[in-house]
Amino acid sequence: MTDPTQLLTPLGLTIVGMPVFLLGVFFAVFLTNKHLGEEWIGKIIQTTIAVSLLAAVSASGIMLWNRVAQHPISLGDWVITPHYHLKFEFVLDLLSLSYAMLTLVLCAVIGAFSTRYLHRERGYERFFVLFALFLLGMVTASLSDTVETLFAGWEMVGLSSVLLIAFFHERPSPPRNGLRVWIVYRLCDVALLLAAILMHELNGAGDFDHLVGDKAWPAHDPLLIGPHFTVLGVLFVIAAAGKSALVPFSGWLPRAMEGPTPSSAVFYGALSVHLGAFLLLRVSPVLDSSIWLQVAVVVLGLVTSAFAYLAGRVQTDIKSALAFASLTQVGIIIAEIGLGFRYLALLHLLGHACLRTLQFLRAPSLLHDHHQLENAIGSRPREEGVLWEQKLPLATQRWLYRFALERGYLDSMLEKWVARPFVALFRGLDKLETKWANLLDGEPKAKEAPRKL
Amino acid sequence: MSFFAIPWLEITLALPLVGAVVVAFFKTPTEALHASLAVFTAVLLSATAACFQQGAAVWGHFAVDDLAAPMLPVLALLHLLTMLGTAKSRVSPMFCVRLLIAAFVSLAAVTSQTSWIIVVLLIVGVLVPFWDLLNRGRAVRGYLIHMGLFVGLLVAGSQLEGSSLGYGLLLAALLLRGGILPLHGWLPTLFQGAAYGTAMVFVLPLMEVLAAVRLLLPSTPEWMLNAASVLCLVTAVYGGGMAIVQNEVRKFFANLCLSQTALVMFGVMLHTSNGLTAALCLWISSSLALVGLAFSVRSLEARFGALSLREHHGFYEQVPGLAVCFLITGLASVGFPGTIGFVPMELLISGSADQGLWVSFTLAIAAMLNGIAIMRAYFALFTGKRPTTSVSLRKTPLERVGIVVIALVVFLGGWFSPSVVSSRHHTADKLLEPAVLEPQP
Repeated sequence: MTDPTQLLTPLGLTIVGMPVFLLGVFFAVFLTNKHLGEEWIGKIIQTTIAVSLLAAVSASGIMLWNRVAQHPISLGDWVITPHYHLKFEFVLDLLSLSYAMLTLVLCAVIGAFSTRYLHRERGYERFFVLFALFLLGMVTASLSDTVETLFAGWEMVGLSSVLLIAFFHERPSPPRNGLRVWIVYRLCDVALLLAAILMHELNGAGDFDHLVGDKAWPAHDPLLIGPHFTVLGVLFVIAAAGKSALVPFSGWLPRAMEGPTPSSAVFYGALSVHLGAFLLLRVSPVLDSSIWLQVAVVVLGLVTSAFAYLAGRVQTDIKSALAFASLTQVGIIIAEIGLGFRYLALLHLLGHACLRTLQFLRAPSLLHDHHQLENAIGSRPREEGVLWEQKLPLATQRWLYRFALERGYLDSMLEKWVARPFVALFRGLDKLETKWANLLDGEPKAKEAPRKL
Repeated sequence: MSFFAIPWLEITLALPLVGAVVVAFFKTPTEALHASLAVFTAVLLSATAACFQQGAAVWGHFAVDDLAAPMLPVLALLHLLTMLGTAKSRVSPMFCVRLLIAAFVSLAAVTSQTSWIIVVLLIVGVLVPFWDLLNRGRAVRGYLIHMGLFVGLLVAGSQLEGSSLGYGLLLAALLLRGGILPLHGWLPTLFQGAAYGTAMVFVLPLMEVLAAVRLLLPSTPEWMLNAASVLCLVTAVYGGGMAIVQNEVRKFFANLCLSQTALVMFGVMLHTSNGLTAALCLWISSSLALVGLAFSVRSLEARFGALSLREHHGFYEQVPGLAVCFLITGLASVGFPGTIGFVPMELLISGSADQGLWVSFTLAIAAMLNGIAIMRAYFALFTGKRPTTSVSLRKTPLERVGIVVIALVVFLGGWFSPSVVSSRHHTADKLLEPAVLEPQP
């Protein structure tokens, strides 16, 4: 009789392969200059996600039944030179399968929701192309066993996220906000890229098991001690901070609400915003290499949580309020990871993602829900809860209000201290260059003849 | 006659020249365009065939060696895409002739095994944009000063070959040709003044990389290469930063080219096996990605004239294919996963780690800046309120072919990365061997 564990590799490849197939279909449609109807798009999306989810559930069942804690799936060495080794490898374990299944379940829900929500919307096909890219990125990142594989998924998630923020691109603000988010993502991707290089320097490869040992997550080899591991940990934390909108990168989160509600739900309520936490869970042994790093992670999580709580209290639109509520929980999850509560953090992450997706999806019909509720009980629902801020002195209340309203001045600080000097520097250099070019050409640009076609 | 008995190298080199002579006699732009496209397609096919004759095809001073083999189809494709992306309204027989001559120069230089022929071809290459600038009545003094200096340094350097001074002069010449700081002023001016196609075929084949590999390695003193690598690093970041703040598409593209060229040159200047492998891979991916990006920009310019990045144009709804093409090629040029540029960029950044983490950091910053510049340009061009037009602006059949080819190259090219890296690594090791690379035919 065939050993069922032999099915794990094909099942793992099916989980990743179906989103690749989905994108391949869209790519073929693009190449042949055809258009898929809404019905077809819906069917393809649902079928591919269903097959992928079925494979993930089957793999989990086989692993549980046969007590297999982890199963690596190697796609072989992609690039090998004597000095460099690029490998694409996936792993099936508790962490990766949990996150992949969460991704597939939520994407299935969002996919089904979006086919109706975006019915006859201009850009319907574009939405689902980006959705497919996001799905592939998430699944790739979830199952990754090497930092390069993770990086590939990470980048795909970032790109799809930005393009979905700019989905309603006829208005000026979505593309503008999309660009801002892209800048933060790229900045933090640099940290992940450097972490990948440092991993290669330390271990000669980008495999996570080379770094933390080949025991199944969350077990790992004895603690990794040394300044290199601390630097590596810091780089991972910076990368995670960008992706999960932790302080000081939280400014982009409300801007990301420009996209369609389904994408906001899946990105900033559920999956993308937790990807930073997922990364820290995957490399959590590295965080253990330094007590200071652990403390920093806990502080970062708590500060983010406190900031998001305050900012969320003054939001006037439901999506922004939900986004900050998400961030509050993400901050707590990060603090849990810093404290070493990995199972708790994973459970918290999974539960929170599901709850928040539901809330985001109900957000467009919030008023309708409230009316129904009021009709049912015959009066307005009573406001409950402790407003502890009211116990503070009035001056402090005002300061906190302004602080929250301005979102901690994070955006304006980044703009004032980073963006403006950068642009001023390069604009100045550009002017100098233009003057120099005019001097060499011997005539000012303005007097040049009109461009000949 | 067997496949290998056909003189593909000779055909590849002769076709553009013969084509140039023939096209020069055409009177109408349409005839010239069709004939040029036929010639470029034939050149691509014969260059691909010649690529399979690696090591066997020798013709006088020209040969298809390890370095030249993959570059032949790449350069042929680059010129074909440049031609495909040229709007009918902007084609003239002389423009086609210039493109065909440029194709001959690139293909001949990459297969040339003799230093003096490379030097001569580099000098001839300089004349093509000069001819174009003169023809368009644009200011040429700045270009002439820079290129005069380039030719002077190149000739002097090649005369003093073997001495440190000679290598120094050659290095300076090639840095100037690559637009490395501080002698980069000619590049944005060229893109603004010359026809887009002419500027592309002068800049994108990265002939300075070829010349550096053939003429400088492995004998150039280490300190010179190290100093040059610092300049390249600075240029890569500078180009990326400048690309972000540009308000004109052409200057944006010129600065992006500046940054990408500097990245490739940096890899060469590292003169390590890893660095050179990365540079040779990046040479291929950057050239193809940038030609794809230029293809989209030119197609837009053909419809809407000179483009500004100050406001949002909203072209997506009119030409979604070009938007996709712009985005994927732009991202490929900065090494986005799944595209042709991913592995080369990873290799370059990792390969530089031996020099210190700060070098990798700087390279990553350069790639980041380029990525931001591309996304900014994408949003400026393709988002915003759609313009109302009374005529159809949908892509033409030729553009559709170009987009399909580019998309296939960008994505499928990524799948061939392992074999390309392996062959480039082998080539890099051979180039770094302290042997005289001047086999006589």
